[in-house]
Amino acid sequence: MKKLLTAIFAMASTTCALAQETTTSPLEISGSVDTYFKYDFAKNPLNGKTSFVTDHNSVSLGMIDIALKKKTGKASFVGELSFGPRGQSQSIPDAAAGGSSFNIQNLYVNYDFTDQFSMTAGYMGTFIGYEVISPVGNFNYSTSYLFTNGPFQNAGIKATYKFSDKVSLMAGLFNDWNVYSASRGVSAIGGQLMVAPVEGWTAYINALSGAGFGGYGTIVDLTTSYQITEKFKLGLNAANYDIKDSSVPGSYAGAALYPQFAVLDAVTLGLRGEYFKFKAAGAVPATAFTAVTLTANIKSGGLTFIPEVRLDHNSDKPFFNKSGALAPNGGQFSLAAVYAF
Amino acid sequence: MKHLLFITLAFLSVQLSAQQKQFSKDDNGKFIYYKVVDSQAVSKDTLLQRSKSFVNVAYKKSMTQETVTDSSVLAKGTLVIDKTILVAGHPSGEVSYNFVFEARNGKYRFWLTDLLFIPYQRDRYGNFVATTKIGVPLERTPGKLNAGAWKDILNSAYNKIEKFGDDFKKYLATSKVEKTRKKTETISTKKW
Repeated sequence: MKKLLTAIFAMASTTCALAQETTTSPLEISGSVDTYFKYDFAKNPLNGKTSFVTDHNSVSLGMIDIALKKKTGKASFVGELSFGPRGQSQSIPDAAAGGSSFNIQNLYVNYDFTDQFSMTAGYMGTFIGYEVISPVGNFNYSTSYLFTNGPFQNAGIKATYKFSDKVSLMAGLFNDWNVYSASRGVSAIGGQLMVAPVEGWTAYINALSGAGFGGYGTIVDLTTSYQITEKFKLGLNAANYDIKDSSVPGSYAGAALYPQFAVLDAVTLGLRGEYFKFKAAGAVPATAFTAVTLTANIKSGGLTFIPEVRLDHNSDKPFFNKSGALAPNGGQFSLAAVYAF
Repeated sequence: MKHLLFITLAFLSVQLSAQQKQFSKDDNGKFIYYKVVDSQAVSKDTLLQRSKSFVNVAYKKSMTQETVTDSSVLAKGTLVIDKTILVAGHPSGEVSYNFVFEARNGKYRFWLTDLLFIPYQRDRYGNFVATTKIGVPLERTPGKLNAGAWKDILNSAYNKIEKFGDDFKKYLATSKVEKTRKKTETISTKKW
């Protein structure tokens, strides 16, 4: 106990001393913990066609996520690890495989050459799309088809130039999607144009071409959100992905709209309406999903309760009804608790 | 005995931190940080010059000069609020403010008001960024669910603004020429 206290105070003194003498920022520690209960209306866990929130009639775990960041002068690093189903096998690359290890969410170094120009190298959350793996970064607890089928993370090197607070441009070279090391070499090129035409409105136009899901392909994505008033925010995500070999299934196109309205100081209601289509490939016909998700965020300090009702439809009947027969509709209720620190 | 001393010190620390400072309110019911400073040794013109330098040089990354007259400086700015847990923490938001400085011979005053809080959220790359561009006035009364968190924000905002005020007073009281001279001072080891 004595040793522990001594160590803590020694660390505190070092941090204070550094803060006075250099431009070193203190070590940032942040993260989140989440857990959920889900009830599928047809009592079938296979009805979930998007990422995470997999279990039916179970109080289940999301993940614990821990992020470290430090900046010394112009150089900084971010390291972020997650443990738990949402952060292990369900996030695709599982460090030791088998679903019992951890997932690296971010592991990169950054250098600000000037106030405008910076370069980043490592493994990063993808720049494509509206939603992310961490439940803290999403309004809805379940995820969209666009998120599930797009990249989660990209390893690579990228350069960002900030022309002003309203315009910036990123370009980079990347490995194939969601892998810690390239299986097909540094084989993708990507870019992002950020524009903020009016205060509160930000739009990202993204493109990534090269090795990805289903071989080589190109994804073009628009992600935008506009805080129109203090209470009302509108988000939009639209994307198109084409696999170079048109006989390989996996090409898609879709759009999702995210209106959110703060009804009380601590309560915000939000809707996600999505249309998503897998394109025809060879003998595999096209198939389309529509989904509506009604979500509330109830906040108390670092804790957010997220009750959610989700209804999915596909006329090709990929869902199951209560008797186990194929059905065009799926639905679920979930209640999640997410704590961010 | 050592344990008893430690517990007493810890208790006193908690007691001291519980006595938190609060913002005053102006004529319009808005929070204000207001200071009048006696400054007989520095002339009005020098005070004005140093005030402009404080905004445009010392705090140039977080402040923007709006208007300057022969006796006043108006500026806008932001201060980042931190959430600290023992030895580490992270930014939790920023407070934007309007800054006013007025000088007379022998004294000056300055105040910060129109305080708006913008919360930060961790983005996909692990960086804390503003979640909105629309700030919430610090004077608002939060609901019961967020009363504790709001109290922490108010305390952190007050401490940051108080430190800003102290920095400003020191900057106005210090000659830049003396500062430069101090930096270039050399020590000879030949004579002692």
